[in-house]
Amino acid sequence: MNVIEIDHLTKYYGKTRGIIDVSFSVEGGEIFGFIGPNGAGKSTTIRTLLGLIYPTSGSAKIFGKDCIAHGPEIRRQIGYLPSEVFYYDGMKVGDLLRYSASFYRKDCSKRIQELAEVLDLDLTRKIDDLSYGNKKKVGIVQGLLHEPKLIILDEPTGGLDPLMQQKFFDLLLEENKKGATVLLSSHILSEVQRLCDRVAIIKDGRIVKVEKISTLKESNYKRFKCEFTAMPDANMFSIDGVENLTIDGNVASFLFRGDVNKVVRMLATLDITDIWAADPDLEEIFMHYYEKEA
Amino acid sequence: MNVFLRELRMYRASTITWTVSLAGTIMLFMSMYPALAREIDDFVQILAGFPEVVLKAFSISLDTIGLLTGYYAYVFTFIMLAGGIQAMSLGLSLLSKESRDKTADFLMTKPITRNEIVTAKLSAALTVLLITNAGYLTAGYAICRLVGTSDVNLKLFFMISITMLFVQLIFMALGLLVSVFARKIKNVLPVSLGTVFAFYIINILSSATDDAKLRYLTPFQYFDPNRIQMTAQYETVFVVLTALFVPAAILASYIIYNKKDIHAL
Repeated sequence: MNVIEIDHLTKYYGKTRGIIDVSFSVEGGEIFGFIGPNGAGKSTTIRTLLGLIYPTSGSAKIFGKDCIAHGPEIRRQIGYLPSEVFYYDGMKVGDLLRYSASFYRKDCSKRIQELAEVLDLDLTRKIDDLSYGNKKKVGIVQGLLHEPKLIILDEPTGGLDPLMQQKFFDLLLEENKKGATVLLSSHILSEVQRLCDRVAIIKDGRIVKVEKISTLKESNYKRFKCEFTAMPDANMFSIDGVENLTIDGNVASFLFRGDVNKVVRMLATLDITDIWAADPDLEEIFMHYYEKEA
Repeated sequence: MNVFLRELRMYRASTITWTVSLAGTIMLFMSMYPALAREIDDFVQILAGFPEVVLKAFSISLDTIGLLTGYYAYVFTFIMLAGGIQAMSLGLSLLSKESRDKTADFLMTKPITRNEIVTAKLSAALTVLLITNAGYLTAGYAICRLVGTSDVNLKLFFMISITMLFVQLIFMALGLLVSVFARKIKNVLPVSLGTVFAFYIINILSSATDDAKLRYLTPFQYFDPNRIQMTAQYETVFVVLTALFVPAAILASYIIYNKKDIHAL
């Protein structure tokens, strides 16, 4: 069953583009990545899902219910962690978490303790006095304390040190194992690569691609790097499937997608001193998407 | 209920400050009454030297300024001005505070409707105003009893004093309405001071010129303490206006807030 279904969602802020005709679905139990450069429309999409802003056209459903009409009911089962966290002045961490918990009809005190322990968060301190990373931890606990069925994260890891990031990811994976669906928006590709099953790539307000991470990685792209005794004519490389060709002295590197034999045959005619062939990392594939659309 | 209590806690300090200040002001003003009453003839003589338009502008009635309720009615106009500023600030900040402090994302992603948020905050604001008025009334009545030579006319005192609440309701509803229209209010105090003083100046102009039409434009004229102490009644048309404006502005605020986009930080 789909936990999130977004259907031709469009949002304009006056005349400014927010998102255009965004459609994708997130299945129950998956960790879904939502990736794109700054200003592409990630937050706009997420804020619409949460009922913070209203779509210009199109609709979105969460748990099969319209996210505007049934917003409060849906949000009972959503945990949200915004990219920047600011909380009421003068409140202690524990006070804020108890306030947060008071919106859900269940006792969350045990879960708060657990989460605070895992993240090494002091509940007795004032939020104003916390560092950015520690405020972020408050945000994480606040988003997870009611054991939501859907966790929505908008660029969550900024300000967390690598160790905390790891703990945070472990928490997410644990929640996911218990059945929670996760929507993770990010522009940091490595964290998406590590966590997600599928990704949607958004650029300039439009969805460019929705794909399994594994498919993206094995989409037959190979990165080639060859060193020659003498640099051959660049025209040699103009085979179908060669992209991002860069030549630096006697070294040529490029991405290739298609029948590898073609490249091998071409290279066989040349005098090679060294050769590397590898799977490109996701970063390269994404950069490729971004640039192609530009 | 949790939002209501949270709001009350948030406004606790400012409510105490406002209540104590208003109570202190009326006690200070009224404590001067005995001295004034002793030498009322000289005082009236000095006042009579002023141009009539100045006396009118400041709502000074030579016939009644020497009476306890007359003096109280005069002093009360300043209390009303301060009360107006409190209420306008309160109305303006209720909903806009969440955006300014960047807590809107926290609150509004919780399982709560926008209507529930407005209702909770509005109830808290109403409670704040009721507490302020109760504190003021108590202090005002005590000082009047203390300085009054004869028995204080309780009915008149109450009729005049309670109009602060009515005027405050108007300003709070106005502030709320302005706040839902504005995308973001960076700083509440300049906006509320500016608005309330503008209405106060219209009030002075209206009094000075006896312009009947101007009276409709400023809430400060709706419950004129001088008229009340002389006639012992409110003017029906302004009571009706208040009873129409306050619910209408609040209703409009609900509707607009429900449709409003909550923008990112």
